[in-house]
Amino acid sequence: MTDPVTLAAMVLVVALMLYALFGGADFGGGIWTALAFGPRAREQREALFNAIGPVWETNHVWLIFIVVTLFTAFPSGFAAMFIALMPPLVLALIGINFRGAAFAFRHYGRETGRDVPLSASVFEIASVLTPFTLGMAVSATASGTITINYGVTATGTAVWLTPFTIMGGVIGLAICAYLAPVYMTVRVAPPLQNDFRDAAIAAGVALGVATAAMIPFALRYAPRFSQRLLESWPMLFVVLAVFAGVGTQLLLLWRRYRWAQVAAAATVVLTLSGFAAALAPDLILGEMTLEAAAAPRSSLVAYLTILPFGALILIPSLAFLYWTFRGEPSSTLPPAGAESDSPEKM
Amino acid sequence: MDNLLAARALMGASLAFHIVYATIGIGLPLMLMLAEGLALKTGDDAWHRLARGWIRPAGVLFAIGAVSGTILSFELGLLWPQFMAFSGPMIGLAFSMEGFAFFTEAIFLALYIYGEERLSRRALFLCTIPLTLASAVSAVFVISANGWMNTPAGFQMIDGAPANVQPMRAFLNQAWLHQAVHGTLAAYVATAFAVAGFYAVALLKGRGEADGKKALSLSLSLALVAAPLMLVTGDWAADAVAENQGAKLAAMEAHFKTSAAAPLIIGGWPDPETATVSYAIRIPKLLSFLAHQDPDAVVQGLDAFPQGTTPDPRLVHPFFDLMVGSFFVMALALIWYWWPRWRRKETEPGRAQLKCVAFAAPFGIIALESGWMVTEFGRQPWVVKGYLRTSQAVTPNDGLLLVFATFLFVYLALTVGIMRLLQRQPKETGGEVSHD
Ligand code: HDD
Ligand code: HEM
Ligand code: HEM
Repeated sequence: MTDPVTLAAMVLVVALMLYALFGGADFGGGIWTALAFGPRAREQREALFNAIGPVWETNHVWLIFIVVTLFTAFPSGFAAMFIALMPPLVLALIGINFRGAAFAFRHYGRETGRDVPLSASVFEIASVLTPFTLGMAVSATASGTITINYGVTATGTAVWLTPFTIMGGVIGLAICAYLAPVYMTVRVAPPLQNDFRDAAIAAGVALGVATAAMIPFALRYAPRFSQRLLESWPMLFVVLAVFAGVGTQLLLLWRRYRWAQVAAAATVVLTLSGFAAALAPDLILGEMTLEAAAAPRSSLVAYLTILPFGALILIPSLAFLYWTFRGEPSSTLPPAGAESDSPEKM
Repeated sequence: MDNLLAARALMGASLAFHIVYATIGIGLPLMLMLAEGLALKTGDDAWHRLARGWIRPAGVLFAIGAVSGTILSFELGLLWPQFMAFSGPMIGLAFSMEGFAFFTEAIFLALYIYGEERLSRRALFLCTIPLTLASAVSAVFVISANGWMNTPAGFQMIDGAPANVQPMRAFLNQAWLHQAVHGTLAAYVATAFAVAGFYAVALLKGRGEADGKKALSLSLSLALVAAPLMLVTGDWAADAVAENQGAKLAAMEAHFKTSAAAPLIIGGWPDPETATVSYAIRIPKLLSFLAHQDPDAVVQGLDAFPQGTTPDPRLVHPFFDLMVGSFFVMALALIWYWWPRWRRKETEPGRAQLKCVAFAAPFGIIALESGWMVTEFGRQPWVVKGYLRTSQAVTPNDGLLLVFATFLFVYLALTVGIMRLLQRQPKETGGEVSHD
């Protein structure tokens, strides 16, 4: 338990969970601005935008943290993954860029109506593209299609484009679409609250259907992974995830939003735990163990040593951030044009 | 274009793009801190208004900095997987620490930008302090990784693989300190000049009288402190390069043949075929003096290194001259701006002074970009000097030309978007407009 490879792997999994819980919800916000519905569609979009504003950049850093942890602690695994999974990763990057830019342009820009539809639709498309391709990339590590022969990593579409990875992408999307409206229910008042409740219940059903549908795909296209997942102790996580998911739906029905938020997060954490538990002790299923991918012990120890110091700065700052921007999302930016005598009005 | 060339071009373009936003991400927090500090200290609310006027552009520029930085961290794996498999254990420490700096930066930036109604004035000012520190520290960390590529340390090669890895030694490599100090200061100079130029143009066009002058004296005061340090730390950097990266120094100075009492070559076009420099100005003995503090010292030329291990001076020497030349342009503008104020107690900058500042404004970022070209082209053909060639590090994936073209389009689209955003006339009615 205390060997540095296991610890580093656990850090990686925790970082992935935090990215899914925080960054994922931001992507979900983008998905729901595309799917906004009913007479209050406009208010839904505004609330989502204002909620994402102060936190998206911080939430995005979890992705950087994952990448950095991967190349610091598991350099050869990082190299193999980034060779094999180049196409989905490039697509994800394009999505990340256009999404960040479109969001910032809409948010800080001096909207002139004309540009807003463009940046809004870019934002929505990119919010779908990125979780889908990242979901593909993550599930590809478990699909058994990445092969390394004598240190040479195979490339080609067969590596990353399989029914299993496509389902992985769909689950990635579903996780994001599920978290955002659940989180929103605690932050807004009725009637908007009811809208997000409906959205959350629908997304919960979608996530349930997607994960259930994944099982036949996994059995057929990733037999080794499904065997490890379903025939051994990782199965426990699957069962618990199902319970947490059903529980979330009930809590939403009963309008216990605070608890629903916790249960939704637990559902996602348990789903990813099941995935990680089935993948361990491999980093790339069947081809590279965590041990084989790991950096020398001294590097792992150095990495693990700085984590508590980093956490000491990070945790209070994060708490202060989320505490400051708790409650009803509001646009606290001055309205465009309010800086009346600043010369950037050229 | 072959795969290697496409990968190098993509990496170079991505870094050149990112560094513009990273620079502002380092410089602007300091300006915010100074302005908010002055507002509290003097009770003059104009300083606070000035700082708040920067948050819209700051928000956009930081966002682009974050997403372009993400491209970079992915590109390390997408383009140079073998480099990362080799170096991850050594430079990962620097990047991990940088990760925490990024968190801190993103958190306090959000608090500062969005906190106007939720935080007190003092708390807003206090938020700019970790913001400024975190951004400076993130530069210092990432530059350590780059310094390691230039002067690898903290491991031994045993059977072609790194062994006995000592991450702290790798972090504190020989090039780190001078690069970190010189490189971080450069961000302050470049931001200060960019901001000064912006307001100088505005004043020339007769806009933003009061705030413009405040912004101008703030940014040019910062430049006045930082610019002389560029000369001092640049000289230190050159000394250190002479000591540890002889081939880079030779390429910087277009010094082909090892010789005593070497002249300093300014300008000109180096020709590796004939090992000569045409159209250059030569100052006798100065290179020997600058590199070794002795006018008759022997300075290694490119011929002192085995063939195929030296950089192309055509890519290095002109950029070195551009960096140093830009320094003098900025120094002139600073002297012209501050001298009359100091000697003759003048308080109003004249039109000629404003024009001079506006002209010098882009040279901060020009110097910074060209300094990086010196460092990066000057390391070639190595990605890890002496250990791993760039050509050995590149990904086996093909189709990199397509990836290069795609990202070129991404950068172009982002640049056009930012330009339009920053220039657009705000609607007088204001208010957040919904998109449906
Ligand atoms: C505002 C920007 C700026 C200005 C005015 C200068 N520099 Fe610079 N220089 C940089 C911005 C920069 C940089 C972009 O920040 C670099 C690239 C890598 C680094 O660490 O700093 C750099 C690198 C760099 C290097 C290479 C270091 C290495 O590769 O290890 C040398 C030798 C110098 N500089 C020397 C000078 C001298 C003699 C200057 C005379 C005034 C000077 N620089 C002005
Ligand atoms: C931000 C300012 C920087 C600029 C403008 C810059 C510019 C460039 C350029 C032009 C190249 C291509 C060189 C060639 O192949 O001929 C390059 C390569 C590269 N740079 Fe930098 N660089 C910067 C900073 C850094 C830093 C801080 C790092 C690492 C931590 C880094 C890592 C690399 C790597 C890995 C390559 C590819 C391998 C190689 O060509 O040597 N760069 N950079
Ligand atoms: C000397 C060169 C560099 C400097 C001074 C620098 C500095 C900075 C700064 C100050 C920021 C945050 C400010 C902003 O968002 O605008 C930033 C963002 C970022 N940089 Fe760089 N950087 C450099 C090179 C690199 C390289 C080589 C990489 C990766 C390989 C990189 C990766 C990133 C990432 C991932 C972010 C985004 C962090 C976030 O999400 O907030 N940077 N950089």
